Amino acid sequence: MFDLFSDPAKVAQQLEIITSEYGFAVWETLYALALEVIFAYVIGLPAGVLLVTGEKEGIHPLPGWLMKLLNAVINLLRSVPFLILMIIVLPLSKVLVGTKVGTVATIPPMVIAAFPLVARMVETSLREVDHGVIEAAQSMGASTWQIVTKVMLPEATPSLISGGTITLGTILGYGAMAGIIGGGGLGKMAINYGYYNFKFIVMWAAVIGLILLVQIFQSAGTKIAASCDKRLKNRS
Amino acid sequence: MEPIIEIQKLSKTFGSGDGRVAALQDVSVQIQPGEIFGIIGLSGAGKSTLVRCINLLERPDEGRVLFHGRDLTELKPKQLRMQRRKISMIFQSFNLLDQRTSLDNICFPLELAGVSRKDARKRAMELLETVGLPDKASAYPVQLSGGQKQRIAIARALASDPEVLLCDEATSALDPKTTDSILKLLQRINRERGITVIIITHQMSVIEQICNRVAILDSGVVAEIGPVESVFSNPQSKAGRRLVSPDVAQPVTHWEIPTARIAFNAAMTEEPVIAMLAADKGICVSILGADTRNVSGKAFGTMLISLPEDVAQRKIVLDYLNAHEGVSAEEVTEDV
Repeated sequence: MFDLFSDPAKVAQQLEIITSEYGFAVWETLYALALEVIFAYVIGLPAGVLLVTGEKEGIHPLPGWLMKLLNAVINLLRSVPFLILMIIVLPLSKVLVGTKVGTVATIPPMVIAAFPLVARMVETSLREVDHGVIEAAQSMGASTWQIVTKVMLPEATPSLISGGTITLGTILGYGAMAGIIGGGGLGKMAINYGYYNFKFIVMWAAVIGLILLVQIFQSAGTKIAASCDKRLKNRS
Repeated sequence: MEPIIEIQKLSKTFGSGDGRVAALQDVSVQIQPGEIFGIIGLSGAGKSTLVRCINLLERPDEGRVLFHGRDLTELKPKQLRMQRRKISMIFQSFNLLDQRTSLDNICFPLELAGVSRKDARKRAMELLETVGLPDKASAYPVQLSGGQKQRIAIARALASDPEVLLCDEATSALDPKTTDSILKLLQRINRERGITVIIITHQMSVIEQICNRVAILDSGVVAEIGPVESVFSNPQSKAGRRLVSPDVAQPVTHWEIPTARIAFNAAMTEEPVIAMLAADKGICVSILGADTRNVSGKAFGTMLISLPEDVAQRKIVLDYLNAHEGVSAEEVTEDV
């Protein structure tokens, strides 16, 4: 695995794989990631909002059993190992996207694995919003919807972005694992082309690509979160 | 005149079982349109709960809150939200939206009410002028001082053109000079716009400076209510005395001698009554404690004196003092 460059023929062959396939693998990784993040937030964001607003002391209390159920589902999905969850959920992919193999087939299991994380991230961010500000909005006659959309989400934006960055990194990690069941992208390149075929240069190149992506997302996320946080003094 | 807000037999209990705390017990208060009404009490007296019951941020267990004779506790959520726009509120911790500029903070209640962005901004600019911060339109709350934040909060509270302004310890986080300027602003708003102001505070000075009437809240019960001058010059309740003259209410000596409490209204008397008592009646008393206060520019005094052991002589002293205009005296026992 660490003896990479002793056989020039192998090196040339691997370099050719990299030049011809790497770009597409990055593209596949990014587009699957984008779809997964979007759907994870489509489900996870409202779920996170409900976790905060629906509790007993929240601004719009929901029946206790419903909150218990919501919490139980989220905890359950969070505690099943991703690889197992992916295999369990694959039949659902057949129903939803019509296939059990390929990059698209990995999206439903990824979303199901990721939205509970998103829900918890959103929940944590929204809990940071000062209760006094919410009370002030209530005193002005704001409705529940207005409090969520005009107070809680905007006030929590920097924290939501930080949470989103963490989510992005985690989903990217899941995506690499999805390579095992045929999901495309850098993960598949590392495992199928690289590890299983003893093409370790390809494997390392894919791994480095994933590391770089995480680094880029993380620093961009941190910067964006800081630049949109009006609570920070000495903004430029 | 019909009260603008009428609180009727309000009760609120927090917690359950052994942890039960009765925050309010059978509280009734009437607030007249256009007045500045103070509610004072020590911490834990139930002031904040009371003010939160007025706009139903807190639901009372029992009792009613009437706004223009209409019971708010019976309104549907949507109707209640409409009424809340007429009862604005400012807070000790300002509660501005940190991610919005001053101007957008002031626009916020207008946005909630569906006012167009252009009209909202125009009105917000006018209100920035009103509170004296026209140059802070694009500043974020973090860039403002405490006093400036409270001014923005006041402008925001005025945006919905309210009839009542609730102030929940609005000056408690501010230094004395800033407090003074905020109180002057509230007074001006009350005068110029005819907005009824309800002030919750633990600071005597706030009540003295701008309130017309005051209610003293003690352990969830209204201990005393009336015009500030009469309540503060001669409080009738224990809680009132503790608040108005804490030094005189709790002197260092033990109560082994008969004692009288005297209240002076300096506007009505300048006579040296204690000296005159000695001269006219030949009875000498010693002063156990004394305090003067300035209420709306008038001086009021409270004094504790010892009384003679002899019951007949005691009566002479009390009658003599009470015969003077602007002086009232009564014998007190143990806890004043």
